Amino acid sequence: MFNWRKVTGWLLLVLSTAAIAEQYNLGKPASEKVIAGWDIDVRPDGLGLPKGSGSVEEGEALYDQKCANCHGSFGEGEGRWPKLAGGEDTLRDERPEKTVGSYWPYASTLWDYIHRAMPFNAPQSLATDEVYAITAYVLNLNELVDGEFVLTQDNLATIEMPNKNGFYVDNRPDVANPRCMKNCKDPESIKVIATIAGITPTDHFKHDGNDGVAYQESAVGVTATPEVVKTYQNACKMCHDTGLNDAPKTGDVAAWQKRLNQGKPAIYNNALKGINGMPAKGGRTDLSDEMVKSIVDYMLELSE
Amino acid sequence: MKIKIKAKEKDGIVKVKMLVKHPMENGRRKDAQGELIKVHHLTEVKAEHEGNVVFHGEFGMAVSKNPFMAFAFKGAKGDKLSVSSVDNQGLTGQADVIVK
Ligand code: HEC
Ligand code: HEC
Repeated sequence: MFNWRKVTGWLLLVLSTAAIAEQYNLGKPASEKVIAGWDIDVRPDGLGLPKGSGSVEEGEALYDQKCANCHGSFGEGEGRWPKLAGGEDTLRDERPEKTVGSYWPYASTLWDYIHRAMPFNAPQSLATDEVYAITAYVLNLNELVDGEFVLTQDNLATIEMPNKNGFYVDNRPDVANPRCMKNCKDPESIKVIATIAGITPTDHFKHDGNDGVAYQESAVGVTATPEVVKTYQNACKMCHDTGLNDAPKTGDVAAWQKRLNQGKPAIYNNALKGINGMPAKGGRTDLSDEMVKSIVDYMLELSE
Repeated sequence: MKIKIKAKEKDGIVKVKMLVKHPMENGRRKDAQGELIKVHHLTEVKAEHEGNVVFHGEFGMAVSKNPFMAFAFKGAKGDKLSVSSVDNQGLTGQADVIVK
């Protein structure tokens, strides 16, 4: 893509890094390749899109595998994960449902967002054509393109999003916000009259939070302690209950039987050190080795 | 009304997920003018496979908007599954899907 402002910006950056490198022997000039890795934004007119294509049909298979666990088979959103479809004509409601279809003004944002940030647990892992295919499918879930549609770098900018004209430039002037240096208001006298506490559940941000829902996995015949069960639910369930990224599902006897052939020590080791899509300790390096092993025992017990 | 369906076979079991687009108004909500919104909900959703009913649900006003349903039955790739729905205002929906 060619954009003078950007090019000048990069030049300045490159020049200044070069100067610093000379002076302090720090860093190294960014190569063209490195810059290309950062320069991934896509604009509504299609500027910045790499060459590629993908069909709704290919997108469906990829979506089911990589996105449906969180966003729902039809974009309806599992649990509290965001909805990607629906919500038409709700923007004026008391509780508007903002989705790709009901709210987003440009399809390019969808391509860019998926390319940049999704899947949530493995961002930037998708190939260019996969991003085209999945974007096409999310548009199809929103009934914006039909089942035969093939998305390419040339037709993406021609897609009209329903809420395209729902945005306007906010031309209100900035509010003056001068620093107070003397005779200031006593902070004690300032009263906070609204907080989000109690409205937005925040419990799930805590390691041991469970979204405020008092659920208990049925523990019939399982010897694991409640702490192990709870830690499984917080640290491993998201992939192992759903089969995300082809994680072996807890309870899938055949899948685990195959893995057991390598012996338990190897399984423990893979859970601790990580293997392919399985991050070391499921990404929770704060867990003790003992805890991870106990969770593995628990998973195996549920899968025999 | 629109019905979205996915049906996938694995080891002889077809797992079906479907979503019926429906407002599912329970008749007790009020609009901006304070008028009650007329009750409008599904009454029945049915899925048939080779002449057999493999799913049958009776719906009332306690079910939320755009209901999502999932069920499984014995079948094979290439089989046809037909889903139909009716609501309390007599509107109907119909969709077929080939098992993948
Ligand atoms: C592990 C769960 C998870 C998976 C898997 C996942 N996402 Fe997301 N997705 C999220 C979360 C969480 C957000 C919200 C992120 C935020 O707001 O910072 C999100 C946001 C989005 C959004 C923006 C929604 C909006 O209206 O703001 C899109 C589009 C999206 N995801 C697409 C995808 C696609 C396509 C895939 C598969 C390639 C995918 N996601 C896989 C969790 C997930
Ligand atoms: C981000 C998703 C993710 C999370 C979170 C996760 N896993 Fe995994 N796990 C995987 C995937 C993917 C595999 C399959 C890896 C492979 O063999 O290719 C896997 C495989 C495994 C295996 C089998 C290893 C083997 O040798 O075959 C065990 C055991 C395991 N995980 C335990 C855990 C435990 C315990 C936790 C929580 C502390 C956890 N996982 C959290 C994705 C995850």
